[in-house]
Amino acid sequence: MNEFSDFVDRSPVGPDGRRRRVLVAMSGGVDSSVAAALLVEQGFDVVGVTMQVWDYTSCDIVEGNGTCCSSLDVDDARAVADRFGFPFYVANCEAKFKATVIDPFVAGYLEGKTPLPCVNCNTFLKFDHLVTRMKELDCDFLATGHYAKIEPGKDGRPMIVTSDDSWKDQTYFLFTIDPSVVPRLMFPIGHLNKSEVRNIAEEKGLLIARKKDSTGICFVGTQGYTNFIESQVGREKLLAGNIRLHPSGEVLARHDGIHGFTYGQRKGLGLATRADRTETESPLFVFKIDPVTRDVWVGEESCLFSTNVTVKDARFLGEIEDGERLKVKIRYAHKGAFARVHRKSSDELEIEFEEPVRSVTPGQAAVFYRESQLLGGGWIP
Amino acid sequence: MTTLTRSSKQSLNSPASDQALDQARTALGRTSDRVYLDHNATTPPDSAVLTKLSSWALDWGNPSSIHQHGRGPKTRLREARDSVSKMIGASSLETIFTSCGSESNTMAVRGALSALQKKGDPRRHILSSALEHPSLRRTFDALKLEGYDVELVPVDRSGRVNEKDVEARLRPNETVLVSFMLVNNETGVIQPIKEITRAAKTVGALVHTDAVQALGKIKVDVKELGVDYASFAGHKFYALRGAGVLYSARGAPLDPLVYGGGQERHRRGGTENILSIASLGFMCSRSDEVEGRAETIRELRNYFESRVLLEIPEASITCLESPRVASTSSLLLPGTDGETLLMSLDMDGFSVSTGAACSSGSPEPSPVLLAMGLTREEAQCSLRVGLGWSTTREEIELFIETLKRVVTRLRGLRNWHPSPTEEQVS
Repeated sequence: MNEFSDFVDRSPVGPDGRRRRVLVAMSGGVDSSVAAALLVEQGFDVVGVTMQVWDYTSCDIVEGNGTCCSSLDVDDARAVADRFGFPFYVANCEAKFKATVIDPFVAGYLEGKTPLPCVNCNTFLKFDHLVTRMKELDCDFLATGHYAKIEPGKDGRPMIVTSDDSWKDQTYFLFTIDPSVVPRLMFPIGHLNKSEVRNIAEEKGLLIARKKDSTGICFVGTQGYTNFIESQVGREKLLAGNIRLHPSGEVLARHDGIHGFTYGQRKGLGLATRADRTETESPLFVFKIDPVTRDVWVGEESCLFSTNVTVKDARFLGEIEDGERLKVKIRYAHKGAFARVHRKSSDELEIEFEEPVRSVTPGQAAVFYRESQLLGGGWIP
Repeated sequence: MTTLTRSSKQSLNSPASDQALDQARTALGRTSDRVYLDHNATTPPDSAVLTKLSSWALDWGNPSSIHQHGRGPKTRLREARDSVSKMIGASSLETIFTSCGSESNTMAVRGALSALQKKGDPRRHILSSALEHPSLRRTFDALKLEGYDVELVPVDRSGRVNEKDVEARLRPNETVLVSFMLVNNETGVIQPIKEITRAAKTVGALVHTDAVQALGKIKVDVKELGVDYASFAGHKFYALRGAGVLYSARGAPLDPLVYGGGQERHRRGGTENILSIASLGFMCSRSDEVEGRAETIRELRNYFESRVLLEIPEASITCLESPRVASTSSLLLPGTDGETLLMSLDMDGFSVSTGAACSSGSPEPSPVLLAMGLTREEAQCSLRVGLGWSTTREEIELFIETLKRVVTRLRGLRNWHPSPTEEQVS
């Protein structure tokens, strides 16, 4: 399906003299607010939309202004729209968000994984639901406040490249975007760094400038993800079991559920009081979570490293050669490491790292880049 | 963006008042080239109301004051009460000013039950429907937690509560209160309140009707309906927001929700909102205009609906065959999505809605339409159009053209085609 032309003129006014209309996904945070402000300044016909994804009144979460999309944040987004005088709407996405983001998030933890809900939100809401909205509202582009850039490739076709703020770069979360949509996307703050974005917000008098970053998972809030999962499922669904020591299999402790652990975790394992481990011994890390036996395996740091990773459900934003040497990130905060990427089947890849990487974590994604170009990624099973 | 030429607009108001209205609109930061078709959510203040505002505002004294400054506002209050009472067929002692329809609804239900409980009345059964306004639905939810047995009478696609269904559910010595709206805010369907009341009275139940959507659209006579309580709100009738009315029949049990300095004969405390109350009183003094206005609106609405049915394939009108007020049209537009439709029309200069106005601005499929047995898909492709006193033929023409264009575009994007088996009959 390639319903969009690959080559799209991105100037604010079309040859017919009509201002091009941009649907801006606004969370109420600084980034998307500045994105909208910049588009207004450039002369685009801006329409703002906030996705109402979670009914904060129906749960015990203390509504956090600072997580995204709480009702207070909707007010902030609306205030920005009022300030610049562009239309603003709230799209009800609660049911879709629950089905495609919350439920897989909870299920993932119960399968011993560490899910990436932001990618699902991008896949099924921002770059699907809002792409539909973009078309329906007669908009030419969809803009978000992601730290990412759109640049013409060698063939002139727009491609997604990493942000100029390498610390904030969010292309990792964008690997599932349908390549046919890319020509219609805009990331207006991708060429800026966070402090520049804050300065613009200050200059433009957007009161949210001092709001803190929304780094956590928006629907989890301050309660922590374990509490969130326990609030979503019955106690009987939680998989309690043993913490076992590699390689002996010795049971070191009981745990209340595998959802409380993540790969590479060192703290909070409840092993501190173990008398026969001396301080000279090396610390223990979680390196395997088994949802079948409900065992959480711990071992020395060396257990965490691996060289080969198979990923499933791979998505591509650009062509890659089989066995090509690419930079691969295995989690958002990972700097990236070089690897050969081999095709095993149409949607399965074998990634062979040049140096062992730490804590390859099921539920996360391996995302690959050629220099700054985002090429695609796959899910770590 | 559609720009309307207002020069040819035939206003029902005098030119001078129209100018005042435009001035007021500009002052409020609104552009006058928009078409407002959401009169069920709220009505614009009538131009004559706007011209009188400053004179009412000058009566700023406290009507409870004994000194001279209390006289003017007290007079305003009395005049308003008289004209409201006259319009709804009540005595002025039975008319209580509140802040809004929601307060009136809550006060009727809570106030009645509280007063009866104090007297040791053991009855705990309440009959209502799923069509009611959230201020009642949520009050009933709260009452369930307090031990009341709230039963909702099912409603079919006609959108009309059947009095027989109410009658069959009444329980002697158990049913304490019956509450049904007079006019539904989404479909405009008029409910058989008189018949329901007659049935309810046979078991001695109290009867409340939410008549918020009826005031100014149809003749409302509380004595003829026979109800014990009825709720009204000024801002659905071209008055300012901030004034509601609760009719409470003489002798009907009623505890206050708000205790205060003895206002409204100790039934509703709080210094009266004279400005809003005066505007409501003023509109009620024009009750003899209601019938004629409704006729004009009915012609426009019927014209609008016939064009929609003729020109938009597979469009239908919800509750078309039921008795409806003249101003409301609930459209069902398969192959579209109400939320997107609303946004698109808004950008094109038309204010309509998908159902009850919701403060979050994030519409769910209408619970009212779902309760009537419409599928989720049908509810999601519904659009509510509410005409008003100032709606013109030209506005309707423009709206039809825009609606057709937007619906066609949305259907095209969704690859929707009229089903070949059903031939369009109109």
